[in-house]
Amino acid sequence: MRWSAKRALFDPSALNHPKAFGGGRYGVPPLWLVLLSLIPFGLVALPVGYVGMRTYAAGSSGILRDLVRPYTLNLLVNTLTLSVSVTVCAGIIATAAAWCTERCDLPGRRWWRLATALPLAVPAYVSSYAWSSLGPQFQEMGGAILILTFYSVPLIYLPVSAALRSLDPNFEDVARSLGLGRWRSFGRVVLPQIAPALSGSALLVSAHMLAEFGALSFLRVETFTTAIYDQYANEFNNDAAALLSGVLMLICLPVAFIEAALRGRRRFARISRGSARKPTPIALGRLMPPVVLGFVALAILGFGVPLVTLCFWVWEGTSTGQGIGRVVPALLTSLGYALPGAVLTTLLAVPLVIATTHFRGRLVTLSDRLPYLVHGLPGIVVALAAVSVAIRYAPLFYQTTGLVMLVYAVLFLPLAQSAVRASAELVPRELGEVARSLGKSPFKAFLLATLPNLAPGIGAALALVALQLMRELTATLLLAPAGVVTLATEFWSYTSDRAYGAAAPFAAALVLISGVPVYIFTIRTLRVADEP
Amino acid sequence: MMFILNRRSFLRGSTALGSTAMLGGTVLGGTALVATASRVQAAETLTLYNGQHRATTEAIVAAFTKATGIEVTMRNAESPELSAQIAEEGANSPADLFFSEQSPPIAALQEKGLLGKIDDATLKMIPAKYSAKDGTWIGASVRTRVITYNKKLVKEADLPKSIMDFGTAALDGKFAYVKGDGFQEQIMAIVHIKGRDAALAWLKGLKQYGRSYNGNRIASTAVLNGEIAMALSNNYYWYSLAREKGEAGLDAALYSFPGDDAGNIFNVSAAGMLKSSKKQATAQKFLAFLVSKPGQEAMVDTTAEYPVVDGIVSPFKLPSLATFKAPVTPADMGSAAEAYALEREAGLI
Repeated sequence: MRWSAKRALFDPSALNHPKAFGGGRYGVPPLWLVLLSLIPFGLVALPVGYVGMRTYAAGSSGILRDLVRPYTLNLLVNTLTLSVSVTVCAGIIATAAAWCTERCDLPGRRWWRLATALPLAVPAYVSSYAWSSLGPQFQEMGGAILILTFYSVPLIYLPVSAALRSLDPNFEDVARSLGLGRWRSFGRVVLPQIAPALSGSALLVSAHMLAEFGALSFLRVETFTTAIYDQYANEFNNDAAALLSGVLMLICLPVAFIEAALRGRRRFARISRGSARKPTPIALGRLMPPVVLGFVALAILGFGVPLVTLCFWVWEGTSTGQGIGRVVPALLTSLGYALPGAVLTTLLAVPLVIATTHFRGRLVTLSDRLPYLVHGLPGIVVALAAVSVAIRYAPLFYQTTGLVMLVYAVLFLPLAQSAVRASAELVPRELGEVARSLGKSPFKAFLLATLPNLAPGIGAALALVALQLMRELTATLLLAPAGVVTLATEFWSYTSDRAYGAAAPFAAALVLISGVPVYIFTIRTLRVADEP
Repeated sequence: MMFILNRRSFLRGSTALGSTAMLGGTVLGGTALVATASRVQAAETLTLYNGQHRATTEAIVAAFTKATGIEVTMRNAESPELSAQIAEEGANSPADLFFSEQSPPIAALQEKGLLGKIDDATLKMIPAKYSAKDGTWIGASVRTRVITYNKKLVKEADLPKSIMDFGTAALDGKFAYVKGDGFQEQIMAIVHIKGRDAALAWLKGLKQYGRSYNGNRIASTAVLNGEIAMALSNNYYWYSLAREKGEAGLDAALYSFPGDDAGNIFNVSAAGMLKSSKKQATAQKFLAFLVSKPGQEAMVDTTAEYPVVDGIVSPFKLPSLATFKAPVTPADMGSAAEAYALEREAGLI
């Protein structure tokens, strides 16, 4: 591929060409970085090893016969249908919404941004319960796709709109001036630049859908993950359940590596950002009413329906008021677990991201991808792997807060990785090299030059991970010190006894507290962007 | 993700968030250490893995602690999860006791040899049909298999006369079934009374004509909302629904088959002691209390289940157990491996 100015104008990825900035090849990561990446790698390898050993223990006898059945094929079809449909639908809706809020003359953009991001504050099992109670049509595959799509839209919308906002509109202007229409210039200039944000978050959503259980337990859709829970519930065979988990990891494997390959050696950082002018908003014209209607629908479907359901529970339930005194302590415990868990997860994610965005190497690529495979595993499998390892090799550590934190990190590393990566890709690695040339050690160069530039990504990672950790149930139930009560455990406990009125305040507290990071992030990004 | 943020304000925010979080972590970590230390010191504290309704077990534990002064630490989760967890923990399990919402999860531990023998005196307090043959677990409460039906969609007189009708085209699309919580017990009863072939045909019919739901609670809600006419379920799901929504306006009702049909069976919640427990004598005290009069009273007050001993009155309006027979007892069932094989053969799982 030869570097040419014309090519760079049409295809910003040509900027990755070594000659574009006179840079050399990506180097091998320094030793300290490799060592730091090995910590999360080792942690994440444990459940993978556990699944492998259990599958092996199941013995070769009948293992394949067990797998090759119409039932398993049906699960495979369902799992793939759900994961692919949700990812594609959410990807399209989120990109369109991001385009409208960032590039069009939509009035009241700050509110539409908030409306699109807010469903993130509602746990999937709450919105799923709300929707399923509306009628049987929402309990089938179509309903599952609908419910989980609304749930997933913000996960893609937030990074994509942030990426859109940071684009320099000059690239587009040049493309348009060279005769490309609006759609074609979007496809050839804008899309490649938001691709990392889009593909990274889409990967996250598809892996998450493989492991989704809470939402599906209210619906009539069977996937590998629901079958794994069934296996524990009916056969009491941890080996057979591990076998199905192994299949799940195999499904996730190509997705994780294809995403990395798509990202390829593209380079998104610019040495000098120049001073991009503000893009001129595109007039929506006749499209305005349907677009506004679309945003209203998004807000009602993703946020309004679950909230109304919670109110209905409180109004109708005879158990309303039970356990109300536990809401505040449970909220504090939830925060006490989610915040340190988010810090640990983010700390572990940073070296992984730097090692793969600024350097190249097989080991670091593997340790960067492995967490995504584990993200596609049901929580119960990861929790049992932790039980199995901790009880044998660290019995004193078993069922302590520290162990739960480590399991949280294993479960949610990819969320932190994606958020930090979005920032890391904008930091030119030359920054570190300059610091080195000024006589700093590699580690100091990282601390002084690279790390401060990651702050926005680190902040986003903390918020996203904390959001998910507050909803985490299985690992908390099995591994936290006995008697620990969080918002999620209380919600589970009351709903499983059908005391919906009593459960509602805990769900509402969960939504409210989750709304805080969502609100702050959306409002803050918009305040800066809308400043004249 | 938000790379356009004002960096300085963001750094400040992240640092504040970070240090608060670290502080929280240290405090929690400290509490955990203290908790571990106290667990070692106090000899009279039992650890109970609880899969039964939390409110029910809490009531029993409170009564037990009041009567004996022995503290009980509960870990709550779904019974199958706890069973899988104890299986992973093996001989190192911190649990002294396991209380399961159904008998199969605890029978699975019995088959793995992880349970200790319960005192004969305790076993003699309840009918033999409610406990394990080798005396490693006891039934703590009894519930019945029933049909939950919607009164607006089907008249009581038109309801099927036998559980076997559910495998036939006559009920196509009219009923819900859930592959768990009492379903295995139902299959085993049909195997015992009608034979293996009949059970297989019944399961195939179920797959063809019924609608599978992922949980009993959601299936009975579907009946209540009129989405489907009937559901195969356990009795207590309807009672908890009736308690939450008020019985008066409820469109859903319970039905049992006439005579001694293979559908009229019971199952039990069950408790046992871990063989690895270092507090066997204390754990035995808890099991004895569970089936004693005060233990059973605490049980029936909080859930619509039948007591395992005579002379206890439930505040719920439960019909007589007389028509419910025991073609297979929970002990015969074990972890229901045969039911599982049949479901697999029928393509249900």
